[in-house]
Amino acid sequence: MEIFLTALKKSAILTGQLLLIILPLSISYEFLKHRQKELEGKKWRFFGISSSGLVPLITGIIIGLTYGAGVIIHSIRSSNMDKREAFLIMLFLSICHAIIEDTLIFVVIGANGIILVVARFFLAFLFTFIAYRWLFFKKTL
Amino acid sequence: MEIKKINGNFILTNFKKGLTNGLSVTFLMVKVIFPCYLIIEIVKHLGIINIIGDLFRPFMKFFGLPGEAALGIIAGYTINLYAAIAVLSPLNLSSKDITIVALILGISHSLSVETPVTQKTGVNSWVLFSVRFLLSLFAGAGLNLLWKFF
Repeated sequence: MEIFLTALKKSAILTGQLLLIILPLSISYEFLKHRQKELEGKKWRFFGISSSGLVPLITGIIIGLTYGAGVIIHSIRSSNMDKREAFLIMLFLSICHAIIEDTLIFVVIGANGIILVVARFFLAFLFTFIAYRWLFFKKTL
Repeated sequence: MEIKKINGNFILTNFKKGLTNGLSVTFLMVKVIFPCYLIIEIVKHLGIINIIGDLFRPFMKFFGLPGEAALGIIAGYTINLYAAIAVLSPLNLSSKDITIVALILGISHSLSVETPVTQKTGVNSWVLFSVRFLLSLFAGAGLNLLWKFF
């Protein structure tokens, strides 16, 4: 019984801390969705990812794969990007997504947030670059 | 005038939508966090945690983590990050340990939910699944090595 109460109390505290992170984020996500149209117009290129890939990329990095799923799937399917570009985007996203939420919930229990963000971005850039440069060598020639 | 009105509505609806989404996520989270927390507290109380710790110690030493942390990693891989922190929180790990676990889980988590999402974009999800899984293990081991230099 005592264990039950401790677990109840501690998980309530943990949930409260997470609530403080999740509510502001979920509200800003909604505002971000409205900015998508503006992003789509921008000309930008990086490691074989074009401007139409920017929307799923930014959505994924900030919102994450679970909540951003709808936007990501829709924007990849509706634009006529090739398989290669879709792969590069998903490769980047699978390593580096939901960067704010994932980092903060671990910071709550004591992790070093800066290391986490830097390491994930670095690995995502590295792997996307490797895949772009060598994995699709024939196509880039 | 009309544009201004629409903009005002946008802000309000966005705010409401965000709030409802946030609350429903939190509700889902509580349903995961509490059972996980309870199970870990019981396991700790009964002393089973030491057995589990001993079992995983050989694998976890590559990441410089105590054996019990394996439970958190497994919860993160299969369920989600909230389950993982509910498991990790009662274990009283050091900041270094949590950062390593967080890097491993940040790269690779909720595989049961996120793998189908990647598949729907038309990308081969097995490749991505393997990349995430392997990279998370290497990144954890790598961060553990790097940490020794600082």
